[in-house]
Amino acid sequence: MVKQFISLEWKQFLRASYFQKGLAIKILLILAAIYFGGIAIFMGIGLYFIFKKTIPEVDPIVSVNNYLIYWFLFEMLIRYFMQQLPVMNVKPLMTIPIKRNTVIHYLLGKTTLSFFNFLSFFLFFPFAIVLLVKGYPILNVGLWFIAIIFMTLNINYLNFLVNKSNVVFYAIAVILFASIGLEYYDVFKISEPIGIAFNALYNYPFLIIVPILLAISLYYINFKYIKSGFYLDDAVSKKIKEVNATDLSWMNRFGSIAPFLKNDMKLIWRNARPKQVMMMSFLFLFYGLIFYTQETYKQMPAFLAFASMFVTGGFLMTFGQLVPSWDSEYYKLLMSQNIPYKKYLESKWCLMAVAVAISFVLSTPYLYFGWKIFGMIAAGALFNIGLNSFITLFGGALNRVPIELNVKAKAFSNTNGFNPTQMLIALPKFLLPMGLFYIPYKLVNFEAGLIVLALSGVVGIVFKGFFLKKIEQVYQTGKYKTVAAFGEKQ
Amino acid sequence: MIVTSNLSKKYNDNQVLSIDHLEIPKGQSFGLVGNNGAGKTTYFSLLLDLIQPTTGHIKNNEVLVHESEDWKPFTSAFIDESFLIGYLTAEEYFYFIGELRGQNKSDVDALVSQFEDFFHGEILGQKKYLRDLSKGNQKKAGIVAALIGNPEVIILDEPFANLDPTTQIRLKGIIKNLAETKGITVLISSHDLLHVTDVCERIVVLEKGEIVKDLKTSAETLKELEAHFSGEAV
Repeated sequence: MVKQFISLEWKQFLRASYFQKGLAIKILLILAAIYFGGIAIFMGIGLYFIFKKTIPEVDPIVSVNNYLIYWFLFEMLIRYFMQQLPVMNVKPLMTIPIKRNTVIHYLLGKTTLSFFNFLSFFLFFPFAIVLLVKGYPILNVGLWFIAIIFMTLNINYLNFLVNKSNVVFYAIAVILFASIGLEYYDVFKISEPIGIAFNALYNYPFLIIVPILLAISLYYINFKYIKSGFYLDDAVSKKIKEVNATDLSWMNRFGSIAPFLKNDMKLIWRNARPKQVMMMSFLFLFYGLIFYTQETYKQMPAFLAFASMFVTGGFLMTFGQLVPSWDSEYYKLLMSQNIPYKKYLESKWCLMAVAVAISFVLSTPYLYFGWKIFGMIAAGALFNIGLNSFITLFGGALNRVPIELNVKAKAFSNTNGFNPTQMLIALPKFLLPMGLFYIPYKLVNFEAGLIVLALSGVVGIVFKGFFLKKIEQVYQTGKYKTVAAFGEKQ
Repeated sequence: MIVTSNLSKKYNDNQVLSIDHLEIPKGQSFGLVGNNGAGKTTYFSLLLDLIQPTTGHIKNNEVLVHESEDWKPFTSAFIDESFLIGYLTAEEYFYFIGELRGQNKSDVDALVSQFEDFFHGEILGQKKYLRDLSKGNQKKAGIVAALIGNPEVIILDEPFANLDPTTQIRLKGIIKNLAETKGITVLISSHDLLHVTDVCERIVVLEKGEIVKDLKTSAETLKELEAHFSGEAV
């Protein structure tokens, strides 16, 4: 049975649309995998020597054990955001005679082969080898290594539960934040007992039984959990929430773009993916904290200009780069209706401009860093509204990736959104504000830089009609391609 | 009303549609039948300028479809679910289409209220997004949306599929009424020979992209079609 599953899985992998097109993306992904794998191996080899050098009075294995918890925390974090949960199309399997348990065992077993599990392996395997070469006892090192691998598996299964169940998610989150808080404010160094525990794993090899038991019980909990949810009802019928039609007729005052604007509001409000984008764009607000707090960047105002543009531009860039794609599910409808592209684009532009304005208001706490920084944010906001918006819309017009609106995106899940055109179009978004600020700054002074950056935005607003017309032409020439691309099922 | 000349569509070297000449007069109810892959949906997509013709052209009310967009105000269609906006309720969807077609809320309400029978209480006031409706109910909403804004040409791809028997019968009444009393040109495609002969004045049979029969519907038409599709010579 498992053999058939694997063959199904393999076909699904090979025949997925993202795999079939774009050799460049494939190569990039493979390179990325090799890159990260390579880094892990080098780190693993270097780990021993680094610790030996930085903390010479402590045995490196003890130092590693002391800091191990941070590695596991990091692993948990990237897994939560990036690891795809194993999904299998269970519906067609339900009517054929396969034991339910077999399917679940297979699903869980599959996650063992996840790339993220190998990350730990690549890191600690070379480290263990180095230890052996240095003459550490083979029994301790060997079993310690196996214990670490089991810990990784534990995180793997824990991540599964965290993703599936809100209760587990909040429990873990509370525990984590509490521990980090206690640690940070020196109330209780929780990392110390954990370090001791890991060291015990090394010193008393028979303790390997603990992570193994833990792994078995987590596996069992997962098994139970999936089994209880493995019914047609859950897989087939979705929960339908009762909804009320929203009256947005007050928006009619926006005139001819009102129908689109109303629709876009609902689009964002009622679908998982755009909602996620909105949440993400909120995080951009904090981007400035990274730059403004560091002395090094104070000497590099071009970077500050770049960061200031990011503070207010989060929604603009994340939402804007997918502009026709948001409407991909019903693009044929739009194309057969009497829709002026200009109005359609103008509506999206309005949304983006409003989002920049809101972000700008929310960014007022940055006044703490002084008027200069805040002036940069203001100039960046103007640049965003006036120029960046059109660059982003232009880039979006070249991006023909269908989006499933009500499905959340996981990292790596739609690599086809990532293509050379996108990268090229992203460049001016970063370089332009830097250049616009830096050149007058160098030639005249700081204020001149600000004024030029801000003026560039004003110029963009003045020539709005011209820019929209240009973008409209891209839409018109690419119409058939776009219709065909959006019609493709993912 | 709709004149097709020398129209062909090729994907790579695979010819999927080739129509030398086809004229559909105003107010005709026109049926397109054919097996899977005969080119029905391709023809409708060309009519809506969703794909580009390899050769030839279609004129819709003297407007060249693939060059001008002036056919859009008087043409409407429901081809598949990609004509629905999943995250709107049926009412919101109707109003949106209405706004695009220059109708205000009360115009739309007046039109939609005529179809309460057809909806069978499953569309309006449901507090559900279109994406959560069943296939049949989605289709009902899509078909009625295609009637908004006084179109002169209505294109419906497989309107009877997925509908329950009661609704199929009501839909037949609606389509007949459109062509007969309002002078609207209605183009439908169907796999159901009985429905098509009931509704359409004229039936064209497509086979591998070419017109093989062009019939004015009469009492014998159904028999002739059945004979054709069962492979018997008439």
